[in-house]
Amino acid sequence: MSLAKPAMRGLLAKRLRFHLPIAFALSLVAAAAFKYGVTEPRKKAYADFYKEYDAMKEFNAMREAGIFESVRPSGE
Amino acid sequence: MISAAVLRAVASLTRARAAHTAPLAVRCFSHAKVETDEEFDSRWVTYFSKPDLDAWELRKGMNTLIGYDLVPEPKILASALRACRRLDDLASAIRILEAVKDKSGPHQEIYPYVIQELGPTLQELGISTPEELGIHTV
Repeated sequence: MSLAKPAMRGLLAKRLRFHLPIAFALSLVAAAAFKYGVTEPRKKAYADFYKEYDAMKEFNAMREAGIFESVRPSGE
Repeated sequence: MISAAVLRAVASLTRARAAHTAPLAVRCFSHAKVETDEEFDSRWVTYFSKPDLDAWELRKGMNTLIGYDLVPEPKILASALRACRRLDDLASAIRILEAVKDKSGPHQEIYPYVIQELGPTLQELGISTPEELGIHTV
């Protein structure tokens, strides 16, 4: 019972032909997932925070808390 | 040879099967003459058949051959084994068989086929397979 001749050439090329498109596709999916799952929500969180941000109000709150040395709370 | 294999894989994605099985560094769109599988095989059989092949040339030939994206044909291996015999190098002969097993990778049907085809040559030259020597497992 002799064995038939199997394919012996181009085995790596065949494997790459199958796996490389998948690898590229998965990489793109991973990049897209990170962009829309992490970076875009993060950018939105910062934008939302600063949309209604009142720098003077925050400054005065900090001033009253007495943390500055250059300007004392308004009562003193 | 990885780059050649990648080039070939990419080429085969974008074109028909032009030079799909040629193991040499065939550029996708060059006009270089493509060597057929048979020409490749006979070139290597001739290489190992050189009567005064020296040990370095044997090792160089085997290392180059192992670098290609193919498992060498039994006739090339037979020629290499005879060269080992001329050089009184049993170790290299058995190593060649181990290399075939390694080159097959996950394709486990290749090694038994090659051993089957090399049977008469192994018998004639008195070469034991790694399995017969019990050195086939780690």
